[in-house]
Amino acid sequence: MELHTQDIANVRLIHIAGRIDLTTAQSFQDLLLPQLSNCTGETKKALLDLSRVHYMSSAGFRVLVLAARQCRQQQGEIVLAALQPDLQEVFRIVHFDVLFKVFATVGTALEHLSPMAAALYGGAA
Amino acid sequence: MSPMTTLILPARIDSLPRGLALVVECATAAGFPPQRVMEIELAVEEALANICLYAYPNSNGEVEVRCTQDETRHLLIELIDSGIPFDMLARPAPDFTVDATERPIGGLGIPLIRALMDNATYQREGARNILRLTVLLPL
Repeated sequence: MELHTQDIANVRLIHIAGRIDLTTAQSFQDLLLPQLSNCTGETKKALLDLSRVHYMSSAGFRVLVLAARQCRQQQGEIVLAALQPDLQEVFRIVHFDVLFKVFATVGTALEHLSPMAAALYGGAA
Repeated sequence: MSPMTTLILPARIDSLPRGLALVVECATAAGFPPQRVMEIELAVEEALANICLYAYPNSNGEVEVRCTQDETRHLLIELIDSGIPFDMLARPAPDFTVDATERPIGGLGIPLIRALMDNATYQREGARNILRLTVLLPL
């Protein structure tokens, strides 16, 4: 799996790609959690772009719970975007559609998080 | 005839890719669409992971992955080990009414298996645990 980040105004956009299973979940955790260390209040909000994730098992869900827990402890906001249709049912089964706000696209998620970031993102697109 | 494919692996996490590759191959050959193949793979990953982590607490052992396409339009996936009696399906589901950041982490594998498979059963036969996952073949 791969992860790369992009800061747009007060949003850290984290693109995740690949397969998140029991053999890759530790790498996912090691790459993701440090990216959330300054995710607090309005200072920095986190947006996970899942458009290139086609497989996620409970080992990956565990990491997402850790991420949500860390952001909550820091009073930070974290949301998800662009979930693959194949994974939507799986997210529903484990109630992650309740745990996270999930947006259809990165653009709509940015509009929710930060008008400034949405404008910069729209301008760049 | 019911074609059967089987593979015996060390019950270790690093065996998962080989076990899952077999299941994906069988599910694809049986004619399942890609999304259903992914769901089958996911359920089997959860079950195999539980066996690798818990079936042999004090020793090394093996797990057999067996796929059979039967005449009743089912794909049957059996996971067989000789570890301690272990019915993963009997584990209580997490309390989904409690926020996931507040309750203990984990326990999502079994709800996934139950929801994604058409049927899941456990049997202790002699010294073996047999977990049977059944998936209805596409029409």
